[in-house]
Parts: sequence; C-alpha cells; structure tokens
Amino acid sequence: MTRQRPFFVQFLVPAVLVAVIFAAAMFNVLKYSFLEFVPGSLNVGGFTLENFTRINRPIYYWVLLDTFILSFATAFFALLLSYPISFALVRAERNWVRSVLVVLAITPLFTGEIVRTYSWMLVLGSDGVVNTALKSLGIIDRSVPIMYTRVGVVIALVQFAMPVMIILLATAISQINRDCEKAAANLGATPNTVFWWVTIPLTLPGILSGFVVVFAWTMSAFSTPQLIGGGKVLMISNVVYLQGFSSFNLPFAAVLSLVALVAALGSLALMKLLTARLEQNMATS
Amino acid sequence: MMHQKMTAITALEHSVEIKAVSKTFGSFHAVNNVSLPIRTGEFVTLLGPSGCGKTTLLNMVAGFIDPSAGAIHIGGVDVTDVPVHLRDTGMVFQSYALFPHMNVFDNVAFGLRQRKFSKSEVTHKVMQTIEMMKLSGMEGRRISQLSGGQQQRVALARAIAIQPKVLLLDEPLSALDKSLRAQMQVELIEMHRNTGLTTIFVTHDQGEALSLSDRIVVMNRGQIQQVAEPIDLYRNPANGFVASFIGEINALPAAIYQASDREISLAIGNIRMTAPRRAEWQFGQGEMVQAFVRPEHIRIATSADAGCNVVTGEVLTHIYQGSHTITRLRVDGLGPIEMRLPGGDVVGRVPVGMPTQIAFDLSQVILLADKSS
Ligand SMILES: Nc1ncnc2c1ncn2[C@@H]1O[C@H](COP(=O)(O)OP(=O)(O)O)[C@@H](O)[C@H]1O
Ligand SMILES: [Mg+2]
Repeated sequence: MTRQRPFFVQFLVPAVLVAVIFAAAMFNVLKYSFLEFVPGSLNVGGFTLENFTRINRPIYYWVLLDTFILSFATAFFALLLSYPISFALVRAERNWVRSVLVVLAITPLFTGEIVRTYSWMLVLGSDGVVNTALKSLGIIDRSVPIMYTRVGVVIALVQFAMPVMIILLATAISQINRDCEKAAANLGATPNTVFWWVTIPLTLPGILSGFVVVFAWTMSAFSTPQLIGGGKVLMISNVVYLQGFSSFNLPFAAVLSLVALVAALGSLALMKLLTARLEQNMATS
Repeated sequence: MMHQKMTAITALEHSVEIKAVSKTFGSFHAVNNVSLPIRTGEFVTLLGPSGCGKTTLLNMVAGFIDPSAGAIHIGGVDVTDVPVHLRDTGMVFQSYALFPHMNVFDNVAFGLRQRKFSKSEVTHKVMQTIEMMKLSGMEGRRISQLSGGQQQRVALARAIAIQPKVLLLDEPLSALDKSLRAQMQVELIEMHRNTGLTTIFVTHDQGEALSLSDRIVVMNRGQIQQVAEPIDLYRNPANGFVASFIGEINALPAAIYQASDREISLAIGNIRMTAPRRAEWQFGQGEMVQAFVRPEHIRIATSADAGCNVVTGEVLTHIYQGSHTITRLRVDGLGPIEMRLPGGDVVGRVPVGMPTQIAFDLSQVILLADKSS
C-alpha cells in the first residue's frame, strides 16, 4: 500500500492546482464583499457590511426569483424534450438510428456558446425563421416577439442544456433491468402502463440528476440571457456583470455572486436530499 | 361467469400447446421445430444445457419473442399473434424482476390491479397469496429489505396471484445457495399442489428436474431430445445425449456378441458381459452399440458374483460425499469407470492404486445403437 502512494499522488497534482486557484478566487470574492465601494474608482475602501444590506431590495429578489424560474423552466422543458430522444437512443433496434441520434444529440456540445446564441437570434428574431414560417403558414399576421423575452431565453437555454440532459437520461435508461418491464407486461400492463408505472419510476434517479445538473448549470447562464434577453431579461449573472463591469461596483458584484452561489448550492442540497431518499428506496434488487 | 370460464378451461385436456415452433436468429436455429402439448395442471420441465433454447421457447409462450414458424395455443386459443399483456401467463424471471419502487404488497397486487379487481378483492387475493408463500407480515417491506429467498417468494407470489393460465419459471432457483434451493424446491412442489397451476419450469440442473417434474422435456441445440416422466427418463434415455445428461453414467462402446431370447451378451473390448434380454432390443449379432451403466450399478465383486460380469480395475480416486462415495477406476480395455457406493467404507477398504475386482449389474443396462459406426 505505502509503496503505491507516490504513484497516485501524481494524478492528484492537476486537481489540487485547480482547487487552489479556485479557492483563491473564491476567497477574493468573499474578501471584496466586505470592502467598501469607492464610486468612480476601481480601488476599494475599508471593511463594511453595507454591501450586504444593499441586497435587501425588491429588484434583487426579483432577479433571484427570475433566475430561479428560468432555470426551473429550462430544466423542465429540457427534460421533457430529452426523454423521448434518450429513450429512442437507447432502445432503437437499428444501429444506424442510434448513431444518428447520438450525433444529433452531442454535436451541439461542440459549437461555441456565442455562435449558437447568435444562430438563435437569427431564428427567433422578428424576421427570423420561426416568425417567417408562422406567417407563411397563416398562423399569425404580424411577427410575435420572441427575441428579448423570457420565452426566447428559455428556448435557447433548453437547447443549450439538452445534450447533457440526453446523456444523463440515456445512461439511466440503459441501466434499467428490462425484465422489470417484461414482468409488468406479463402481468397484464399495457405498453402505456408499463412506461408510466415502471420505466419512468425506474429512471427517476436519472431524471432527478439530469434536472438538478441542468438547473444548477442554468443558474449561472450568462451569454444566452445577455444576448437573447438583450437587457430585458436579467438573470443573476447579468446583474453581476452590470454591477461589476458597468458600474464598476466590484464589492456589490461580489455580494451578488455569493448570493447566487448560496442559492444554487442551497437548491442543489435540497434536490440532493430528495434524490438520496429516492435512491435509498430503489436500492438494489 | 368467472366460475363457468374456469371449469371450461380445466375441462380442456391441454392448457398449452406448442405446435411445430421454430425460432431463428439470422441463420442460427435457437429453437428448431418443437412440438409439445402440456396437460392442464401439469408440471413440465424444460431441461437442457445452457444455450439450448429453453429461455427462447419460454419467451415465445409468454409472447416476448415471436416464433419464426409454428403456433402457440393457450387455453385452447391460438395466441401466436396475441400481445404479451393479453396472454394471461405468469412469468418468474431469473433476475426476479421485482419492482424496486414498490413494496411487497404492491408488487403482488400489480397484476390484479391491471385486471381491474375491486380494492377489497385485490387486498383479499394479495393477502391470501402472501400467506401461501409464507410472506405474512412483510407486505410493507421494500424489495431491497428482503433476502434472496424472500425475493424469490415474492416473485412467485406476484406471478400466481393472477391465477394465470400457465406459470412460466425461468431458472428461478439458480441464484439461490444450495440449502435455500432445496427448501425452495419443496415450496415449489407445495405451491403447485395448492394452486394446481399448469407450470413450465426451465432449468439446466437435472437433479432439480428429476425431483420437481411430472414430465421432463430434454432439449439440446434447439430440439427436443426426449419427453418422459422422471423415472422413465432416468431408466430409458432415448439417446446418448439424454443418457449422459441425466445423472452420471458410464458409456462403454460394445458389440453384440450373441443374442438369445433370454440373454444378450456383449463384447466390450476383450471383456464379455451378459445382460438379461429386453423386448425392445432389436440388435443383430455383431452390431455396434453403446452400453450405458450407472455408477450405482457397479459394486465391489464378492464370491457370490462367481466371476459373472466381473472385471479388474485400479482405483484412481475416491470422492467422498458423505452419504456415498464416487470411486474412479481404470479398467484395461474399458477406460475410466465411475462406481458409486453408499457410505465411505470403500475409501478404507480399497486404497488408491490397488487392483480390485468390480461387478457390473447389467439388469438395467441401457443399450443404444452406435450411430458413429
Ligand atoms: N436475441 C438473440 N439474438 C441472437 N441469438 C440469440 C438471441 N437470443 C438467444 N440467442 C441464442 O439462442 C440460443 C438459445 O438461447 P436461450 O434460449 O437463452 O438458451 P437457454 O435459455 O437454454 O440457455 C443461444 O445460443 C443464444 O446465444
Ligand atoms: Mg436461459
């Protein structure tokens, strides 16, 4: 055992380096949040708690709530759209169907966030693909606004989140003991009943972890709400950006960052608690 | 109405009929032209080595696999094109396949709820089944809180609660340890007696098949080798495969030396032995056969044997098994021979390496035409 230790240590080096740098950054954020803002200057003053009292204003609660709702909606719709794709991806009988689905599901991961967001601007704009199509189909007379709305932001965020969601769900679906589904059918359950009463519950751990990951990920979304929201839809990162890089109020930006972090970790912990209980119930067999 | 339907079914002689069923995967014949009528209330075992097509055949009865050819009738109705959930079979899986997100009660109730029984009927039937399977008091338990044997019983309870037209068991005992398996065998026999369900049981364990079944279907390479009652199968195997697969047996290449009405004498290498003649033997003089002798039909020779069917062998090993001892010997001209004697006395009496006289009791010898020659 002891002879092996030096061997493992070398694998820890990169992780430790990253952790140290990250901890240093986090420490600085924490430090800034307790320092006084000097208007018109990038320098900061002495110790103060004022930054924390300033957060107690409706606008920041609304931003926090908005971020929460948008993240929740993103996770929800990403889940809804990804499940059937993951299901087909795992269960498709033909190899080429699976391959095509894998490629379609994963490629968005390899296009940059900015490129993808600009593409969405083209699609969602008032003369964009969606509005043009709806108009030519006669469903609408005038362009409906999608750009600079919550709907537009969520659409882009969902697409952004889907590859990860699909991978997590596909993993969960591929790990089901398919004999359970066969047993249910054998006992007289219609395919529909089998899906809702066996398949879905058995993939619940995957559903929850997919939801949690996408939710937490979306909580920190920046460029999508920045570009597609165009300042009309503000998520917490956009407010941090405004404070830090428009008003140069770095201490308050630090406080907002901390609040976002605590909110994200808090909701993660809550969901983790739920998942743990579920997984405990479903353990083994 | 329900009662009338039940009597109509029990009045049928065959509750399951497998008619010339085949299943091919690509060019591979997993099941090859199998026909098997199963009587109502019968306990039939599909027995064969791993990969011989037992699971595939069972899955075709349940409806999980479509036959490439042939038809399957359940309760007198052709169900070949009927989907799984309408076939009314009860399957117990090797993996148990219990629903981990439901407790014992809900697992057992699952099939009944699909059948739209009233709540009180469901409760009544579930509790009745749970009691029969000795699971009382465990209704509220999670599946993960049960031992292997208990999970096995829940799986059985879930399948029999719906009183299926046929119960399908795919190697249900193979995941249990030895003592638990013996106990579950007894419970399976009791369950079958209590419910009277037509049962198809799959196993690769010949001991299990012999102890449980009304009839055994021996399969190899997708084909039925023989269908017979356990004792008949053991005594009169239809071919070399069945002879070697059921129980231990010594296969001796032999030639018919002389055949009279009362006796048949065999030349085995340069050794001559005589066996009482059986009516079904149609061998002519000089014909090559395989003679199969069970280890329990060989013993240490005594003076009473008077040199009849006696040969000299050298003990290679003793395998002491408590109630009996398996002794391997080498006999010149015969090759290795296995002998089975009760108790362990033989270990001391005939040490390894010692030449000893052994006598063959050929009153139950099995003679089969040697196809290879
Ligand atoms: N879906 C399948 N595709 C190809 N071959 C299969 C498939 N299912 C079973 N087989 C083959 O058919 C044969 C019989 O399988 P199975 O019925 O599971 O055997 P057993 O239950 O007797 O062990 C095996 O050789 C197996 O590899
Ligand atoms: Mg099998």
